[in-house]
Amino acid sequence: MTETATIRKLPATGAVRLSALSDWSDRHFKWLLVAPAVILILALSIYPLIFSLVVSFINYDFQVPGHAFVGLKNFRMVLADPVARWSIALTTMFAIANVILEFLLGLALALIMVKHFRGRGLIMSILIIPLFISPVIVGQAWALLLQRPFGPTNYILSQLLGTDVKISWLTESPWLYFAIIAADVWQWTPFMFVILLAGLTAIPANLYEAAELDGVGGWRAFWAITVPHLAPMMLLAITLRLLDTIKLFDTIFIMTGGGPGTKTYTASYYLYTVGFTQFHISQATAGSWIFLLLTLLVVTFLVRRLLHVEEK
Amino acid sequence: MVLAAAPRRRRRHRLEIGRYIFLGIYLLFVLAPLYWMLITSIKPSNDYLAVPPVWFPDKPTLVHYVVALFSYRGLRGLINSLIISLAATVLSAFIGSLMAYSLARFNTGGKHLSFWVLSQRFLPPVAIVLPIFLIYRNAGLHDTHIGLIIAYTVFTLPVSVWMMYAYFRQLPRSMEDAALVDGCTRWQAFWRVAMPLSAPAMVATAVFAFIACWTEFFFALVLTSRDAFTLPTVFRAFIGFQGALYGEASALAVVSLAPSIVLGILVQRHLVRGLTLGAVRG
Repeated sequence: MTETATIRKLPATGAVRLSALSDWSDRHFKWLLVAPAVILILALSIYPLIFSLVVSFINYDFQVPGHAFVGLKNFRMVLADPVARWSIALTTMFAIANVILEFLLGLALALIMVKHFRGRGLIMSILIIPLFISPVIVGQAWALLLQRPFGPTNYILSQLLGTDVKISWLTESPWLYFAIIAADVWQWTPFMFVILLAGLTAIPANLYEAAELDGVGGWRAFWAITVPHLAPMMLLAITLRLLDTIKLFDTIFIMTGGGPGTKTYTASYYLYTVGFTQFHISQATAGSWIFLLLTLLVVTFLVRRLLHVEEK
Repeated sequence: MVLAAAPRRRRRHRLEIGRYIFLGIYLLFVLAPLYWMLITSIKPSNDYLAVPPVWFPDKPTLVHYVVALFSYRGLRGLINSLIISLAATVLSAFIGSLMAYSLARFNTGGKHLSFWVLSQRFLPPVAIVLPIFLIYRNAGLHDTHIGLIIAYTVFTLPVSVWMMYAYFRQLPRSMEDAALVDGCTRWQAFWRVAMPLSAPAMVATAVFAFIACWTEFFFALVLTSRDAFTLPTVFRAFIGFQGALYGEASALAVVSLAPSIVLGILVQRHLVRGLTLGAVRG
């Protein structure tokens, strides 16, 4: 790298000052390139995080002038709030249900789509459509489909089951949980599918041929060849999906608005209402730090696992 | 062996049929909400509550589109979305490429810097949106285009950086080295040699950033109100369907999802890379 720098200096005879400047920028080139991105992230991610940590220890109120230091009071208030605890439990429940369903459906689709057949390209394009739609619209679409009396779901179920089905899918427990899970599974199953398909395609075909010669096929080949080879991809897909699904907010906002009551408050939705409809700013920042630390626990655990598998 | 092969073949055949039935049902599951939405957007209001439901209206109408775009400020949202998403996309792809090049060629900051950027991808938006809201209010950036552009640039940066990072790592450096020997500065080697070579990857990266901005809801909900609101936030007007605005909601949804689906399908070759932040090659 230094040799090329000296070679480059040779033609620079005239403008000395200009070459000094370009010399400086050349020497610090790699840092100049990362500077804009790093500065932006510092300004709009790290600084807000620090700011919110400060706010969580004071009493930040639009009505009350002055910000008194209140210690851990805000954190205690969040931890004592039954709705907060419920929202964490619900977020966990949704995350587990969503990830399991999306994984199983995604895997089944990937196993089918790894083969070549007529119309595969078109079907592929249809399968990935949900990934490109705003979660708000996905929530809207499912609301339209399920909403009583407008949506056709109850009518179709009545026809299929032969009895009159009258379910309020968006207000009645437990159906509204199924509705929210359906919307999430609809949108994100292709996420799992695409990653798992890439993993399946990368497994060498001769492994299966060799197994076939040994009389090993079907389920045994699946457990002996597919699963171990696909394991890193499975873990990657599950990790990425899990980290996104705990942020669940948009579909809740559109489909149920957290209701009825606080029955569909996820962690994100709870923090949003505390901060932006009740304007308990300090309590919301304290809550978001608790949520952040919980997320961090999951991240460290999963990413450690992921890197471990990748090294192998 | 020969005797055993026959039932196995039959079993395989049955398995094959099962696969297609499953695929068929799943396709129905994918298409049903989309179809119902599309139909609702062109259905006259008096067909809404018909039993049995109207699967295809006799007299399709575009009136809901007109109402959604002009009476519910859908058009304004559409224009805002376009401006904000395009600006943030260009910034994110450009700034992301700069950083990615530095990481790939000089290993700047070692593993720590690259993973620090990656970790931003997993930060829950709710953890930073409140302080950003307060900062924006004080800085006069609340409900401005520029404010949301900056926010979107930052939140798409991790994906842009990592997608381009994965690309630059596999781009041979011989061309840039030759340019350096010929008397180019490092900047020229990057700008005139590496960047043109990476144009296709950059386009794919930009498209993913665009889709992310176009479909984003949470930041837009909090950081905008009456001026810089984007298309997804317009749907707030239809929540609960007071006055049964099914058609309007559907019409706006169709307008909003059409461009991102078309773009997404155009770059589907790069999809794995986009979803896994470059970790997996498609």
